[in-house]
Formats: sequence, C-alpha cells, structure tokens
Amino acid sequence: MIFRLMKKELYEFLKTGKLIAIVAVFLFFSILSPITAKIMPDLIKSMSMEITIIVPPPTWKDAFLQFSKNLNQIVFLVTVLLFIGSIAEEKNRKTATLVVSKGVDRREWVVAKFVFYFLLVFLLLWASFALCYYYSVILFPDTEFYSSFSSSILFLIYITFIISLTVFSSSIGNSMLEAGGIFISVFIALNILNIFPSVKPYNPMNLSSIENQWILSGVDWSIALKPVISSLLLSLILIFLGASYFNNQELE
Amino acid sequence: MTVIKTEGLCKYFKDKKALDGLNLDVQDGVIFGYLGPNGAGKTTTIRVLLNLARPTRGTAYVLGEDIRSSRRYLREVGFLPDVPNFYNFFTAREFLSFMADISEVDNPKGRIEEVLELVGLKDERKRIGAYSRGMKQRLGLAQALLPDPKLLILDEPTSSLDPQGRKEILDLIQSLRGKKTIFFSTHILNDVERICDRIAIIKEGRLLLEDSIDNIKKRYGRYRILIEVDNPERLIDKLKALSQVRSIERKNENGIVIEVSDILYIQRDIPRIIIQEDLLLERWERLEPSLEDIFLEVTA
Repeated sequence: MIFRLMKKELYEFLKTGKLIAIVAVFLFFSILSPITAKIMPDLIKSMSMEITIIVPPPTWKDAFLQFSKNLNQIVFLVTVLLFIGSIAEEKNRKTATLVVSKGVDRREWVVAKFVFYFLLVFLLLWASFALCYYYSVILFPDTEFYSSFSSSILFLIYITFIISLTVFSSSIGNSMLEAGGIFISVFIALNILNIFPSVKPYNPMNLSSIENQWILSGVDWSIALKPVISSLLLSLILIFLGASYFNNQELE
Repeated sequence: MTVIKTEGLCKYFKDKKALDGLNLDVQDGVIFGYLGPNGAGKTTTIRVLLNLARPTRGTAYVLGEDIRSSRRYLREVGFLPDVPNFYNFFTAREFLSFMADISEVDNPKGRIEEVLELVGLKDERKRIGAYSRGMKQRLGLAQALLPDPKLLILDEPTSSLDPQGRKEILDLIQSLRGKKTIFFSTHILNDVERICDRIAIIKEGRLLLEDSIDNIKKRYGRYRILIEVDNPERLIDKLKALSQVRSIERKNENGIVIEVSDILYIQRDIPRIIIQEDLLLERWERLEPSLEDIFLEVTA
C-alpha cells in the first residue's frame, strides 16, 4: 500500500510542476556553487578599481562551502515549502477524507509521504553532489572527494530530520498555515536549545556547522556521531508521533 | 441482515450534543433516507459511521463490524461527501485509477470504464479542476461505486445541484435499488419521497422516527379535504358548528382545506350542507399527507 500511495505523490509532483521546481533548485545550485567560487575573486577585484583587495586564490573548499550554504538555505526553504502542506492541505481540502474513507491505513499514508519525500531528496542530493563534484574537479583539480562527500551525508541526515519535522507538523496541523506555525515553532525552539552546551552536541541544528567544519578541516566522525544519532532517532520519533496523531485525529 | 446498527450512539462537541443516544437499524438492500433539519446531526452520524470521528459513548456496527475496533469494513463502503473535493490535477480516469489502486479493485481499467459510463463521464478528458459542481458530484458517485461496495453512504448528494443534476443523481441512485444498501442523508423531502424505502428523522442528535414511508403516512396521516365552492364563506360558517371539524384553512379564492377527525361522517355530512345551502361544488379532493407535513409535525 505504501508504494501505491507513493505513486500518487509522484504523480502529483509531476502534474503540478513541483518536481520541476525542486529538480531545478537542486541542480542549479550544484552547478552554480563551484562556478561562483571560481569567479568570485575576479568579481570582487573588478568591483573595486581604487582599493587593492587581496583575495586568496579560490579552492575546492570554497566551492563546497558555497554548495553547503545553498543547500542549507535555498534547498532547505524550497523543501519545506513544497512538503509542509502534504497532509495538512489534504485535510483542509477534504481530499484526505476520501482517501481514508476507503480504508487506507492512516499511518501508512503518513509513512508513504515521508518515504517519498526522503527518496526524492536523496536522489536529488546525490545527483546535485555529483554535478557539483564534477564541476569542482574541472575547476579545482585537487578537490577532495571524502570530505565533500561526507559533508553531503551530514546534510542528508539534517534534511531527513527536516522532512520528518515537516511531515510531523503537517500531520498535526489542519492547514498549511497551522502546519507552518508548528514547524517554525519547533525549528526556533531547537535553535534556541543550541545555546545550552549540554544540549548542543545532540541538536540536529548543529549538523550544518559540522558540515562546514569538515569541508574546512577534514572529516572527524567523533564530533558528528551524537547529532547524527539524535537526528535519526528524532526523525523516527517524529514520524511515529505524526502517524499516531493522524491515526486518531477526527477528520471533517 | 442488518447493515448499520447504532446503539446509544453519542457524540459531544464541548457543550453541544451532536448525537444523543442514537439507535438506528438499517437492513440490507434498502434505500434509507436519513432526514433532519440543518445541524440535526446527519453529517456527524456519517462521520462516526466512516470512522472519521469517534463516538463519545455507545457504538455502531457497520456490516457486522464494531467501528470502535475495526476499519476493515470501510473496504466494503462507498462514500460520497456533501461537497466532494478531489485532486484537481487529475483527470477523472487518473483519479479513479488512484482510488482503484488504494481500494485494491479487481480489473481496475474495466471497472473504471463501467462507473464512468454509469455516471455519464466516459467522454470527459479535462482535469477535475475544470469540472462543474454537477460533474464533481457524479465523479464523487463514481468513486463511491468503484469498489462495488455493499453499502453506499451518501451525504446530501443532491443539495447543491440544479433540478436536472438532481434528477440524474436520483435516477442513478434509484437504479441501484436492491443491489446495494444506500444510506442517504438529506433535507430535501421530495428526494426522499421519490426514492427511499425507509426513513429516519433526527433532530438535535436524537432519533424522532424510523419506519417505512407508507407506515409513517398511515401513522401521521390526518384527514384533510380540499373543497372549492362558489361561496366558501357560507360553507365555513356552517362547518364551524360541526364538532368533527378540527381546523379550517383558506386555500384560495374559492377553496378551503378542512382537517377532520372522522372522515366517514364528514363525507356524508358536508355534501348535505352544500346541497342545503345551494352551493355550487367545484372541487372535492381528499388530500394525502405529505412527508413535508409529517416532517414539520415531527420536528416541531
């Protein structure tokens, strides 16, 4: 049943242009990041004619820092915007009523949405990583595979957590606005929790700074283990809670 | 066989009792009209029966399964909401294909063509978003019929349709008589009179009446006669003196409707008065009680 429900999601993404949007965003920034890194020093130099600015020569690290920044900002935003209404809007528009009144297991439905989004982002992330790596190698022949690849794994874990939080918020909220409110509240709360030194090592929000650290100074799994495990655990807990809540929720 | 049975079904929303000890019994193969004024609890009953809302107290059995402990029975139920909403990016065929997929329908392609033919949407190729209200209602019925369910639950299926659309939907429902059990909520009494075998009337979540339409008419039927004479005022004066006459109502210029307690007596007596008063009898008609009269009386 999960596969059948995922088929509908794929169909929806194809028919509504959501697929084109998310593919375009992922691929655009994967190509743009190494190119921007390469031409940035020349751009800066060309803008200031009178002052002499000394810009260090660009490296592959600049390309992947740029890539990581784009993933964490623009791809993150597009992903949340595209997925946040997944269940909430179905409840709001009452299409959920038609589906669950056919006897579809509500928990399976939530899991199907999560798995579909995860697979979509998983495939697009590796496609965009491959492109970014390819252009980086062309522009910076000394590009390190292990560091860049490992930092992308961290982003995958982070975005998996974000997808699970999105699906959780959507399971609870009865409209896109409500779901968005829940998502933002949890997201802000997690960022505030980062100020407590005892919580920070376990906080999924910490992953993006480790990504940059790995690109700059090399991979060190010991600093990432705690946030990786807690992010994966929290993702499972969020999906479980969202599915359980939706399973018992009264629908119009 | 009992298809729907509710036992002391209650559903409370904070301070409002949407359903208050509802006991219903719907037998196999009937078209069951579920009547009530707006806000009576019709849609709440349907939501509870479909497991979209949980009962506060009591329970319901649908196709023999207790709704509190199972959702399997939903595989045998077709549901048409009052305002059906669909995925607008689908065409009718694509949407039904998805519904057939999740309902695990055998031979889905053939079945989709069958139901599209039945609801008159076989030649429609455009996206659902461009459908009119009537077309959406027909598509709603198609998806409800798709898994060939034993029970069809229709929530006010004609309330938003024009007369032509209403007729088409009612004809369709009528064509299913005897093949399926149909639980049909509405507040349009003409529809009920036209197609239903049995009815239940609820108000404020309580069952006021449940029986066949014939029995209800017999039980609630009052003796009423429409008389038209050339000078109704003189007739009214004479009729006021008769103890069997309960009420007199002016219908039009020459017509009056009288309600009487003893039809046999009055059928002899009134013609005698008309002859004595030398009145010209233009019309004499015994009025059948309408469901509307009964509904208004029961829900008053």
